[in-house]
Amino acid sequence: MSPQPQAAVGAPLSRVDGRLKVTGQAKYTADHDIDGVVHAVIVDSSVARGRITGIDTRAADAQPGVLGLISHLDKPALAYRDNPGAWLDPRSGERLHVFQDDKVRFLGQPVAVVVARTLEAAQHAADLVKVSYDAEKPSTDMSASGVPENDPLPPQNYVRGNPEDALASAVVKLEGTYRLTRNHHNALEPHATIARWDGEKLTVWDKTQWTVGARDELAAVFGMSAENVRVISPFVGGAFGNGLRTWPHTTIAALAARQIRRPVKLVLTREQLYYGVGYRPAYEYGLRLGSTRGGRVTAALHRIRAETSSYEHYVEGVMNPGQMLYATPHVRQAYRTVPLDVNTPTFMRGPGWSSAAFAIESAMDELAHETGIDPIELRLRNEPQEDPVNGLPWSTRRLTECLRTGARAFGWHRRNPKPRSRRDGDWLIGMGMASGIYDTLRMQSEARVRLDADGTALVQASTSDMGPGTYTSVTQLAADALGLTMRTVRFELGDSTFPPSPPHGGSQTMAGVGSAVQDGCDKLRQEAIKLAVEDERSPLHGVDADDIVVRGGRLHVKSNPARGETYRQLLARNSRTHLETRGTFTPSGDDRYSMNAYSVTFAEVAVDRRLGLVRMRRMLGVYDVGRIISPKLADSQALGAMVGGVGQALLEHTATDHRDGRIVNANLADYLVPVNADIPDIKAIYLDGEDLHADPIGVKGLGEIVKVGVAPAIANAVFNATGRRVRDLPITAEALL
Amino acid sequence: MHPFSYTRATDTRQALHAGRDGGRYIAGGTTLVDLMRETVERPRTLVDISALPLREIMVTRRGGLRIGALVRMSEAAAHRGVRALYPVISQALELSASAQLRNMATIGGNIMQRTRCTYFRDVTAACNKREPGSGCAALHGVNRTHAILGTSDDCVATHPSDVAVAFAALEASVHLMGADGERTVPFADFLLKPGSTPNREQALRPGELITAVELPALPRPLRSGYLKVRDRQSYEFALTSAAVALHIRHGVIREAKVAAGGVGTVPWKLTAVERQLIGRRPSDALWTKAAEHAADGARPLQHNRFKVELLKRTVERQLRIVGGGK
Repeated sequence: MSPQPQAAVGAPLSRVDGRLKVTGQAKYTADHDIDGVVHAVIVDSSVARGRITGIDTRAADAQPGVLGLISHLDKPALAYRDNPGAWLDPRSGERLHVFQDDKVRFLGQPVAVVVARTLEAAQHAADLVKVSYDAEKPSTDMSASGVPENDPLPPQNYVRGNPEDALASAVVKLEGTYRLTRNHHNALEPHATIARWDGEKLTVWDKTQWTVGARDELAAVFGMSAENVRVISPFVGGAFGNGLRTWPHTTIAALAARQIRRPVKLVLTREQLYYGVGYRPAYEYGLRLGSTRGGRVTAALHRIRAETSSYEHYVEGVMNPGQMLYATPHVRQAYRTVPLDVNTPTFMRGPGWSSAAFAIESAMDELAHETGIDPIELRLRNEPQEDPVNGLPWSTRRLTECLRTGARAFGWHRRNPKPRSRRDGDWLIGMGMASGIYDTLRMQSEARVRLDADGTALVQASTSDMGPGTYTSVTQLAADALGLTMRTVRFELGDSTFPPSPPHGGSQTMAGVGSAVQDGCDKLRQEAIKLAVEDERSPLHGVDADDIVVRGGRLHVKSNPARGETYRQLLARNSRTHLETRGTFTPSGDDRYSMNAYSVTFAEVAVDRRLGLVRMRRMLGVYDVGRIISPKLADSQALGAMVGGVGQALLEHTATDHRDGRIVNANLADYLVPVNADIPDIKAIYLDGEDLHADPIGVKGLGEIVKVGVAPAIANAVFNATGRRVRDLPITAEALL
Repeated sequence: MHPFSYTRATDTRQALHAGRDGGRYIAGGTTLVDLMRETVERPRTLVDISALPLREIMVTRRGGLRIGALVRMSEAAAHRGVRALYPVISQALELSASAQLRNMATIGGNIMQRTRCTYFRDVTAACNKREPGSGCAALHGVNRTHAILGTSDDCVATHPSDVAVAFAALEASVHLMGADGERTVPFADFLLKPGSTPNREQALRPGELITAVELPALPRPLRSGYLKVRDRQSYEFALTSAAVALHIRHGVIREAKVAAGGVGTVPWKLTAVERQLIGRRPSDALWTKAAEHAADGARPLQHNRFKVELLKRTVERQLRIVGGGK
């Protein structure tokens, strides 16, 4: 097979769906116009723990337009079968069952749903429902005394070497506890569901990152065959991980539609997005490091606590970075979840890995300061030659290149290691950096590719595009592999009836879906070439198939472009309406290489020496992520993640009133995310290269790694500016006054 | 949102008539509509006053300013007279909200806006301002953004306006019109401290309408400016803020007008700071000494203790910015 010329891949193209989005034609879930749709509004619990003692619906029922109300008093029949497909869900515990009992497990738990002809009528009627409770004092603060004793589960442990002995004999010792507050995803698009039953068949328009996952979960909850469920989700307005699970409101919408016998639309309010879906859990991360005078880290002891709900034990990859970012010979980790009267946390960009990076990379900065070694040099001295967990060679690990490239590009040599040494008027200026790691996930994926007689192609996979630009980057791959222009290839996604895709999360979409599409397109191109070379009427008759390439929809001899014909001519002459193939990607086993993406983030901050305000001045990210398919969209990912990191470092904080479990800033006025004025000059650099051990297209995943290390880079810059080591996020004025 | 009726007043008499019958006035709607959606506000009748002839800004004969109640925040901020005479007002307005909100919100509505206290805005929480006698959830709750000055055991909510801080500093007055005629109330008396009746926020009689805010003529030259300290750089309410106007002649401060925002249940006039300044020569030492009095009488809560020090430093910084120094 002759390699195809590369035209679209690697070109800085704009989003193929950009025009649809900016002109309002892209249909997000709540935008779908379904005939006869009525509106549902959830009534949620105003207490965090206890029992529902009564639901007074008289005033609500009396409202004009109200069609019905469902609560546990109606005992709605839901199967809640085990769903072996829900491997993303917590392994321990059981998902929230809606309206199945009178128990309240967290504030904001759905206790009833009102359905009405108009949204306004449903909202007003929901306000009029009076729920009474037998409330108990909730436990929502993982830092409160007595809380850890409630944990019924043993911690997850990891140990190598003799960490206690190594720490005891270390020349340099450090100890710190890092506190990361709870963060909410706050995607612009609210979670929404439209559900319609046609006899036994259920169609759901849902905000999801995993259409086939939502299909399987609905089938399990309603006790039906997955073939009878279809989930449609062509556009997702940001999700950051919160669309990976199928949350209770999706069930509620489908339940309401079944009960009312009408299509039902349910959109969570901004406030409900703080309780009805997931969040990044709060962490307490205790870290002790032992090192030689020369900065070789010999021992690391990690004590990790994270919040979870009382009904599910959510865990994430928070242990990994501490095992493999550095060559530390002696490591102990204990990771414990603390069950509280809250809803279950979930994946949020760089889940676990970025939380661990804050502790580890802050501590490394502290170690650099203590030992008088430059932070970059310190990291170079601790670079492992192989994966310390299993002794496997790295598929590719170019962290040291990231460090050196970034140091040069950012002007790291201008940093004065002595804190408080650079000033600009009232501003103290500081520079900081942090490394990051995220594993390269790859999963079985499939794609359908069809070339029509008019010379255009249609590619389909059930994956999503929550913002990274799946539509665009997959079209780029397909266009080059088929030898077509971008305009003549259409990629469709977001429908569970399309070929199965893994969850659109964990930075694996290009690796899996991209590779499956590449495979399908390669097969289709070869099929067309075979058709031509075996066709006596073709100008390509008899040519070696390996000598043929396709360009602009025209097959030709590589060394003689004049000899060839178009797909259209080929298909027409052979009376073929279309050619169709199915592409697949099956990852090789993980047993030969350790595969990860790497980052180094640099930050320069200004801190008002009297007012304690931190303002960003510059940021740079340098990434070892394999091949870049779509550079412009890669930049969107990297820059967006750095913006998110500014939020995590300086602003974002879900504030709970632990007296009753109420989130007091459950809105976008009080939960602060960065605005344009907070964001400085940001740049991203990608090391040129590919990782063909990971997948045939050489990508290692981008969307998660770009978030890992941003917050500690900023915190380290704050230390360099002020001499204050802030171990709690977010870093606000009161820590620096 | 609860059902309501809506009428549009075409002249002042009609508006006052509807107001006397219990109608709630609405202009830009940037506060009221939000609160109606949250069911914090449940007016039966809205009286839209947008069409009333209260959109003028006039320089008064003595060199003060009269800003009509329906002047948009963005119009007032951009007005040449406002910019020339009282930069502190332009700055306070431009540091408020977002461009979209400033294009809708009016000056009258701005000083009427209700607190951002999260418990006030959550109908399931205890709040004496929203529901007298229900208690104050903020007093021992999450209160980082709450007031340290002018509080009571019944309410610790801040007044959120920026421009009202400038009005308080400059000793503005509020022109009101009611069924019984017109009257003028000093700004300091217009907004009420909570005491035991936090539900009473303004010295308005039922059905009374704000027609204008008037700034007095002040001796010239007058330097003025507004500093807003907040976690993010735009689109956020103040943690602390300072409005400062200084009349300095022959190297001596003859007039000083200073008020603080983000810290009081009402915009907080800093008379103790002003007293320290008048008759003295500008210097960094003076700014520091005067600002030491900025938090006199402060009653910090569990999460907002930092505001005491931050307020002093905010005032010190703004005295230096306006009055000069290193």
